[in-house]
Amino acid sequence: MINGNLKATYAADERVLNNSYKQAFVYGTMLALAFFAAFANEYMILIACKMGILLIAVVGVNILTGYTGLVSLGHGAFVALGAYTVTMLDNGLTGIIPNQFMFFVVVPIAIAVTALIGVLVGLPSLRVKGLYLAVATLAANFIVIFLIEQDAFAPWTGGVVGIDTPDANLLGWVLDTNREMFILISVVAFTSLLAAQNLIRTRVGRAFIAIRDRDYSAEILGISLLRYKLTSFALSAAYCGLAGAMFAFFYSRILPEQFELDLSLELVAALIVGGMGRTMGPVFGVMVIVMMPEVIKVFAAYFTGGDAASARYISPLQEIAFGLLLVFFLLKEPLGINHITDRILRAANRWPFARG
Amino acid sequence: MGQLTQFAINGLMSGAIYALIAVGIVSVYKATKVVNFAHGYLIMFGAYFYYTFAVIIPGQEWAPSWLASWEPVWLVEMKEGLPMFSPMGAVLDWVQNVPRIIFGIIGALIANAIVGRIIERTLMRPLMGQSIFAMIMVTVGLISIMSGAASIIWTADADFVPHIAPNAPVRFELFGSTIFLFGADLVNMLIALIIFGGIVLMVRYTKSGVAIRATAEDQSTAYSMGISVPKVFSRAWVLASTTGAIAGAILATRNGISPSLGLFGFSVLAIVLMGGLDSYIGVFLAAMAVGVMEAMTQWQLGGDWAEIVPYVAVLAVLLIRPHGLFGSKEVERI
Amino acid sequence: MLKIEDLHLSFGGIKALQGISFEAKPGEITGVIGPNGAGKTSLFNAISGFYKPDRGKVYFEGRDITDLSPDKRAELGLARTFQNIALFRGMTVLDNIKLGGHTRLKTNVWQALRYFGKAQKEELELRRDIEERVIDFLEIDHIRKYPITMLPYGLQKRVELGRALAMQPKVLMLDEPVAGMNREETADMARFILDVQEQFGTTILLVEHDMHMVMDICSHIVVLNFGQQIASGTPAEVSGNEDVIEAYLGAAA
Repeated sequence: MINGNLKATYAADERVLNNSYKQAFVYGTMLALAFFAAFANEYMILIACKMGILLIAVVGVNILTGYTGLVSLGHGAFVALGAYTVTMLDNGLTGIIPNQFMFFVVVPIAIAVTALIGVLVGLPSLRVKGLYLAVATLAANFIVIFLIEQDAFAPWTGGVVGIDTPDANLLGWVLDTNREMFILISVVAFTSLLAAQNLIRTRVGRAFIAIRDRDYSAEILGISLLRYKLTSFALSAAYCGLAGAMFAFFYSRILPEQFELDLSLELVAALIVGGMGRTMGPVFGVMVIVMMPEVIKVFAAYFTGGDAASARYISPLQEIAFGLLLVFFLLKEPLGINHITDRILRAANRWPFARG
Repeated sequence: MGQLTQFAINGLMSGAIYALIAVGIVSVYKATKVVNFAHGYLIMFGAYFYYTFAVIIPGQEWAPSWLASWEPVWLVEMKEGLPMFSPMGAVLDWVQNVPRIIFGIIGALIANAIVGRIIERTLMRPLMGQSIFAMIMVTVGLISIMSGAASIIWTADADFVPHIAPNAPVRFELFGSTIFLFGADLVNMLIALIIFGGIVLMVRYTKSGVAIRATAEDQSTAYSMGISVPKVFSRAWVLASTTGAIAGAILATRNGISPSLGLFGFSVLAIVLMGGLDSYIGVFLAAMAVGVMEAMTQWQLGGDWAEIVPYVAVLAVLLIRPHGLFGSKEVERI
Repeated sequence: MLKIEDLHLSFGGIKALQGISFEAKPGEITGVIGPNGAGKTSLFNAISGFYKPDRGKVYFEGRDITDLSPDKRAELGLARTFQNIALFRGMTVLDNIKLGGHTRLKTNVWQALRYFGKAQKEELELRRDIEERVIDFLEIDHIRKYPITMLPYGLQKRVELGRALAMQPKVLMLDEPVAGMNREETADMARFILDVQEQFGTTILLVEHDMHMVMDICSHIVVLNFGQQIASGTPAEVSGNEDVIEAYLGAAA
């Protein structure tokens, strides 16, 4: 018995927020974000911005890994491409395009560029499955970062020492504080999430899931593996490119080492922890992955009294905790946090009848 | 021509080390179908264990002095009057180090075997029968755990570890040009080749080798035929961690020790996929080819370009031959 | 409608199919039978495009489709089910069946990301079509929101048939539609197959082990043995054929 589930039209049944709990949750969250933007302190804003940027990228990885079933260990490279394209274009186009329109020119171009390179990196996916693809994307990540670091490209990329990034300028509104950036990032992240949800409830997203679940069966339904695998790669790369653009606008400087393997693994880990192939999975995952190191820092400071000698343990401890978190979820809750919330929601739906 | 030969030989020497690292990845894959992304970090542990047993422990006050430096009377007498940097001097230096080298290697082998065993029991065994994706991602999680653990356990700043073999310079003529090598590198290559060959023969001809191959073919059938699949799993991991210990010791003498040794695992992973994952021969050839290509790149473009050679090579190979040079393509039944 | 001409297929040294030729006539049910390993499923895989034949042609409505990929054949109107159910296990019944409508929908990525507008209109039309033409027809309205994994085997088979029907196919290929079913479920499935033929006029090609069912519903039967076509004709002709009896019962002393 599921309460409040009477639908009189197909349209009502096809809605995303098809019951009052979901509606309350989403509208409540929007309200909470507005309050947060107004009243949270600088530290909390910083953490929230990190989450938002990572969220956009993880939503992209979710499209590829969660829905299409193609594993990538190299999506950090796409975030790098987005960030560097935005920065380099902004530098190159200063004076040619008025500053107040710059954002609306460079961000779409950055997205398009990463999508295109996503297709290139995705080419092996047509012929190889699973771990071959994981290694191919990993290799691509190493190569991209290596090229960014090269002295030959340093005039544009800044090389190993990194490059200063521009501030976002929305039609004259210069977003030079974290709080303003938080507003932009949360709007972009929310829209990204919504778009991904739309995608998977229509033809294209269903084709992705079909490829993940059983590729030959998808083929006999008329789904071209070539086309949809590459589309999935392009989309997920585009999301990461967008995240990279936000990254560049948010931080005052970017360095190649920020986009190395660690970032790629963080994206996949966030997805696994949150729940693969679920719309809300990335949201939960990103929260945990971003909060965890902060919590460890606070605890370490509390237990050691903040002395310098023990400070060197913090970073390795964060690393270990990250690994343990990933392993724990894979062993104990492979469907991620989303599965836990599902159970809670199911109980709520059936209340006051039997729990199940 | 002379330089070409020199660089080719350098390449073959690092290729042999790659092959030695690769053998651990291939063996675990053959037995368990898991591609161990953390193998490089197992090697890093091997290197640190070698460092612990060959440098840290002999340096302690409570350790017997012959362990740190063995100086019997005849050795001291022989060393007297030798000029600096003479080949004989290098050999005698090595003889002095022999006790701690042996102690270091045995210690590294045992300690790494225990680590491999623990990983298999606590992380891989519970996932038996689960999706390959989950198993692979567990090894990815292992990367962070191991690299974090290493930085907590060993505070070592870069330090020297004793070479496994006498590091005397060797000079000889080949194709009319003079080739210059270090003895230790040559011995390292031999060790790597012997271990690689031994494992291939073991898998092919011994009973436990047959068990590994049967498990690779079909886990549940092998299980029902009386092969203890869990035992095969743990043997494969012990094999990987012990060969990894040797590889780690060798890498430590070549590159010094630091947590970044783990990154070797990724280049070797690329090599393994190039060769074809389940083919020892293919992986061996790929390791040698990448070793030589790296040396050539180093010669022509400079050292840092060499580091992306395995990655470029694997992408090129996968585009042309998706299952590697010698890998077996699985026929899908519909 | 669907015409097979001198089809040869081998895997390494094994000759899976050797010179198969027959035609599935429009609006009729054609059965392919044969003992285990006779090459029935290989034949199906060659027709749907997974295996490339060494020799021979496949014609669909007179058009040579031998070199087309499986998805292109599906777009032309060739649907099939699999011997061991190939549903998408991570989805609900409804989503599985919606996937059958894939080729008829035109939503592109941009429209999908926005949803409102064309995508929504198309989705709702698809939903109505599926509800009225497939779900109602196959009597599976009570399980439409269930995940596939929760369904019993017989119902899964029915959902797979539904997914194929959602494609509005011209030719429907069924690979052992009643394998592993009890008598009652078999009778249900046979009735659905006949209904499909009657209501939609679909040409049906089916592989089956259940001899009673094949004899009852097929108008034309092709018999394979060790990759060779040993007989073809009406049920009556085939069941009287010496070679067929021998293939099934062994050499009668």
